[in-house]
This record gives sequence, structure tokens and C-alpha cells, in this order.
Amino acid sequence: MTEVSIAVRLKAPDPAAMTALSTLKRINPATCPCSLERYDYWRFIKPGGGKVTVEKIVSHFHDIVNPNKQSWSFSDESGSLHSWDEELVWTEVLVTDKVDSISENWTEILRRNKYEVERVMYSVLWRLGFPSGTSIADARERTLALTVTSHRDHGLLANPISQNISLLDPV
Amino acid sequence: MKNRPLVAVLQFPGSNCEYETASVVRESGMDSLIFRWNQWKELSDSAPDAFILPGGFAFQDRVRAGTVAAKEEIMDLVFNQAQSGKPVLGICNGAQILVESGLVPGWENGRIESALAANHIHGRSGYLSRWVFLRAKKRALRVSPWLGMIGNSAIPVPIAHAEGRFVFAEEDLHRVSKCAALVYCDENGVETADYPVNPNGSFMNLAGIMNKEGNVLALMPHPERAFWMWQIPPWVPGVWGDRRTSLNHDPALAVEKGPGELFFRSLAGYFGLLSREEV
Repeated sequence: MTEVSIAVRLKAPDPAAMTALSTLKRINPATCPCSLERYDYWRFIKPGGGKVTVEKIVSHFHDIVNPNKQSWSFSDESGSLHSWDEELVWTEVLVTDKVDSISENWTEILRRNKYEVERVMYSVLWRLGFPSGTSIADARERTLALTVTSHRDHGLLANPISQNISLLDPV
Repeated sequence: MKNRPLVAVLQFPGSNCEYETASVVRESGMDSLIFRWNQWKELSDSAPDAFILPGGFAFQDRVRAGTVAAKEEIMDLVFNQAQSGKPVLGICNGAQILVESGLVPGWENGRIESALAANHIHGRSGYLSRWVFLRAKKRALRVSPWLGMIGNSAIPVPIAHAEGRFVFAEEDLHRVSKCAALVYCDENGVETADYPVNPNGSFMNLAGIMNKEGNVLALMPHPERAFWMWQIPPWVPGVWGDRRTSLNHDPALAVEKGPGELFFRSLAGYFGLLSREEV
């Protein structure tokens, strides 16, 4: 297995997501999503032992998942984590710092603790839910416009000067 | 009718340096008032002569440091006043707000042209709180209302941030030197790109950048925390540390001004408040 990814979210409503949504509603009311979710997204590159190793890491390091306040799932096992609202059209965008000391530090910590993982990569995953009837193409276009901060009046979720932005395949 | 120039200090939810910043403005001979982020009308009616965005964690740094505050309506007013030439200073989190507002470097109006990325330099990453030395660039000394009195020598000022590394798009690198206002250096004024002189890996050792007119300055270090000589640790190397040490047990320590005062005295000089001798 070359990569195992997990998505981590707060059990309580995420204040950063709430602030982002209220800001988007104010600055881009016409294109704003109805719902916005935020996840910590961890990619474990080349984990020896695959998901079993990642489960051990998650249960050992409460800085990655604090079970008192966060829940998590493997990203290819959606449904258990996501608040799937079938009425909405969902898009997902991944925001990653171009130079990222969180990833570097966790790669080093896992290496020191003898976990067989080549590299860890940390990102923030935003899920945007648009009104039913929105086409996938329109939802994706809106997602990029709301994410990429290119001008003081355009975009919020990522600064492309310092962050990489990946629009994930349709959910 | 204002007797003295009014400097507006903006307070966002999570700002935490607004009171000391307003205080040092008053100590420098100007008036200052703190305006909350939702006091757009009060701010507009007061017609301030200058604006300061203080340090802290506006909106808890949610989404990205400075970005939510940058979208607030009150920043439209700051943006327009900056365009008309009024002096604007962003300190630390305030600098992050200015960058996310597109006010600096300001090559194209409102375009986001820079980022204050997470600290990252060989030997260090993460949050950093320490004393550093700064030196102003020649053009900045000439054009910035915040830097006229700084002079050519290195001054000690503290930093406290996790995201203070100025970065720019590849296609803009050729013009970054034009917006350079202050750089990290050692106590002798010598720049190096290594930690701890450059504490965060900032491009071109930048500690502060300005717009092309020079009236807007985004500054990561905290001058208000070096305003008084008693705020300077005696162990700081160079003339400022020596002076601080010489004042140990001297009552003058309580009233003598430190290097951070130069930023605010510069603004007072810009407004014509200083005598010829003081200039």
C-alpha cells in the first residue's frame, strides 16, 4: 500500500469552519455553500503494515487524534465521518502548506518511534456543500473561486503564494 | 477639532496588543483611540490621521492568520485611507492582516501578492519568541512615515510569532527588493540568512515590507514591546544592551525610551510634531 489517508474532525461543531462559512456568506453571498466542513487530513506514505500501522499511530499519538474531542476515519471509508446530506452537492478541496514543518516534524517523530512510514503529509480538507440542483461543474468552479485567495475580494480558504490547493475528484 | 494627530488602533476579536500600542502612541505625542472591528461608522466619523493594526490572534487565527480580519468591512475603510496616503502600520498579526488584505506589497491594487507562512529555517520551526535585530533599508528610511528616525544602525526588537516568513510568488521575486523595509541582521547590522539572525527563514531576511508609496508598513517584530528602556533585557548585545545595563538601579530606567520608540517618534516627526533639535 503506497498511501493511507485519514480525515480527522472535531466531534463538536468546528469553530474555524463556522467562521469561514459566515465570512464566505458575507463576502460571496451568491456563490457561498450551504454547508462547510473542516478536517485535518493526514497522509501516511508507504506505511509498512498499511492500515494496521496507521491505526496504531492514531491510537498512540493523541496529538494526531484526540479521542476526547475528535473522531476519525480512513478517507476511503467515507460515511462514518461525513455528515452526508444527500440534498447537497459536495466538493472537497485539500490545502497543504508548500513548506510544511508539521509534516516534517511528524515524519521525524514516527521515524524516532520506529514506525515504518516513509513520510507523513498534513493538509486541511475542506468539504463544501452546495444547494441541490447545482451541477458538479458549477460546484467545482465555485469551490475554486472561494478557496483561492487571489484578491482581497476573492477567495478565503487558501493563500496560493504559500499553499498548494487540490480540488479532489467528485464525491 | 483635533489638537493632535489621531492614530486609530483597531481591535479585532483576539487582538491582544491594542492597549499598549495605543499607550505608546500617546507617549509619543499623538492621540490614539481603540476602535472595535464593528465600529466602522465611529472610525469613519473620527477621521483618523493614521491607523495601527496591533498584534494578537484576530479571530483566533481561524482559517489562516489574518485572513478573516482582512475580509472585515472595517478593512475596506483602512484600504481606502491607505490608498489616499494615510500611514498604516501592521504589527505582527496586524502585518498578517495587511498581507491578506493585499495592501502590501500592493504592486497591483488589492491583489494578494505575498504570504506570511509558517516559520521554517534550518534549526528551527514553530512558534518563536525572542529578541532580534533589525535594520531599515535606505529607501524605506526616506519614504516611510514609520521609519524616518530609525537611522542606519541595528536596533533590538522582540518577535513572537509562528507565521512570520515572508514569501512571494516566483514571478514577483524580481521586484521584492522594492518593497523591503526592514531586514533581520546581527547587532552590527550584518545580514545573514541563518538562524538565529534570520529567525524564521523569511525571504531576503525580511522583517517588514511596505507598499510602493511607503505609507503602509507590515512589520513582524513588536516595537511597542521595546518602547521603554526597561523593556530591553540587559543581556541584549550592542549599544542598546550596554545602555540598558548602565541604567541598572538608576531611576532614569523608568522613563528612558528604548529603540521601539523610534517607530512612533518617526510618525510624530512625519506629522511635524518634533522640534528641529529632535529631528
